[in-house]
Amino acid sequence: MIASQILAIARNTFREAVRDRVLYNLVAFAVIMIATALLFGEISIGIQKTILINIGLSSISIFGLLIAIFLGIGLVYKEMDKRSLYPLLSKPIRRWQFVVGKFLGLNLTLLVNTVLMSLGLWAALYYLTRSFQPEDVHIWTAIYFILLQLCLVTAVCLFFSCFTTPILAAIFTFLIYVVGSFAADVRDFGRLTENSALESLMSLIYYLLPNFSDFSVAGAVSHGRAVGGYLIVLNTAYALSYSSLLLIAAVWIFSRRDLK
Amino acid sequence: MTRLQHPLQLLGMVLLLLAAWGASALVQVRVDRELAPERETPETLWITSGTTVRALSLGHQALLADIYWTRAVQYYGSRLRDRKTDFSLLAPLLDITVTLDPQLVVAYYWGSMFLSEKIPRGAGEPQKGIELLRRGIAANPDQWRLWHHLGFLYYWELQDYEQAAKAYQEGARNPDARDWMRVMAAAITEKGGNRETSLFLWSQIYQSTEDPTVRANAARHIDGLTAEGDIAELERLAQQFREQTGRSPASIAELVSQGLLAGIPADPAGFPYRLQPDGTVGLDTASTVELDYDRAPAPPAPAAR
Repeated sequence: MIASQILAIARNTFREAVRDRVLYNLVAFAVIMIATALLFGEISIGIQKTILINIGLSSISIFGLLIAIFLGIGLVYKEMDKRSLYPLLSKPIRRWQFVVGKFLGLNLTLLVNTVLMSLGLWAALYYLTRSFQPEDVHIWTAIYFILLQLCLVTAVCLFFSCFTTPILAAIFTFLIYVVGSFAADVRDFGRLTENSALESLMSLIYYLLPNFSDFSVAGAVSHGRAVGGYLIVLNTAYALSYSSLLLIAAVWIFSRRDLK
Repeated sequence: MTRLQHPLQLLGMVLLLLAAWGASALVQVRVDRELAPERETPETLWITSGTTVRALSLGHQALLADIYWTRAVQYYGSRLRDRKTDFSLLAPLLDITVTLDPQLVVAYYWGSMFLSEKIPRGAGEPQKGIELLRRGIAANPDQWRLWHHLGFLYYWELQDYEQAAKAYQEGARNPDARDWMRVMAAAITEKGGNRETSLFLWSQIYQSTEDPTVRANAARHIDGLTAEGDIAELERLAQQFREQTGRSPASIAELVSQGLLAGIPADPAGFPYRLQPDGTVGLDTASTVELDYDRAPAPPAPAAR
């Protein structure tokens, strides 16, 4: 019963995203892929396949990030603004189910979008090389890591959308994404100061911030290198645990909100 | 009536859009003309540190590496095209590229060649090329061909045959390395620089690249070395003619009539060799083969894309 209610909210969130023409970004992605496949071989040397994979993966990541932020910021706020949240919560649905359902719905949207873009990348790769190599399979690892990263971004966005306006939520999420991409530098900065108090503070910030930099494996897979199985397990565990943390915080904040 | 008006309105709108687009394009042409002198100022690299670019890449460092590599290729190609001899941005561009993606092996292969080729065909900085290759070897120990390129640079650009032989020896230790790596190490150790070794090395460059610019460069070197070999042989035959007849041959045709040659030989471009009044053999004036290709002027057409 609980699961079916959450899934119903998730399905609804997905349908709403499709109605909002979110999947139109696939057209832009297709144009980028075709242009890359045709153009870069003419202006560079020896990296036609590498650059196609790198542009493909970066595009999947950037489009996903934009969708995660721009849909994520309105997940809760829009429902409150349109007052569609009240009839929903008057039904036997708990607030935490609503938040979790929204989170899963947005992740479903991102999954469908990512899978479709990935198919476009593979089609462009086939057009370029006329064959697939066994090492190309590692591209899926990079795509999986992008999905994990987007899952984290969605959780960050949902967390902010529970207590602030969409514009502020977008700014905060983007800033968290940027700072999270510099996470390793934050820790290194602390070490460089040679001040134990500052080093501890920086370490605390390092573990407090979501770390986005460890999900980037495009460089390795574009050269046909495999990503270690242990890293896949660790990154999965990290994304799930950190997203859970944010989700719990979002549920807690949303449960305490006065919706009158 | 409404149906008639609708297509007319549509046509009017299309014309209006075309007119606006035409106007903006015309203005852009003027702006380009106005700014042309300023755009001719030397190119600048705003961020010279690869580490900084890496930090700013927000996880997209592999893509940025591709972009910087493309920029390096474009920079090198445009310098060649414009016959400019200042390649000062080449080394920093390559440094950023390989800092962003240390596994981008092509950047080490061809970047080192762009850096090492003598002016006007390159930056004329073989030491920087060697540094780049050593970085590449450290980051990609499984890539035996980097040792080949390193040995080649020592051999061709620096004529440091000891270091060249060492590089081929080191590379030959890689289990994937071709057998000829060991042969090259032995040949360079024994004979130093000679035409056969040079020809073999350039042939390896020619065969191992799919890039037309690099292939054309290797082909020109191979043609030049082949012609040098032919000329040496023809001069030996002219000497033999002198010993047999007591006079110098007036033309190569005389070597043929004397039975020293089966026919008049042609250089790799298809032009017959010429016997010059001083007794030496040279190329036809119309021949496109260059004997000292490295010091020949840069090609008239863009060599790199």
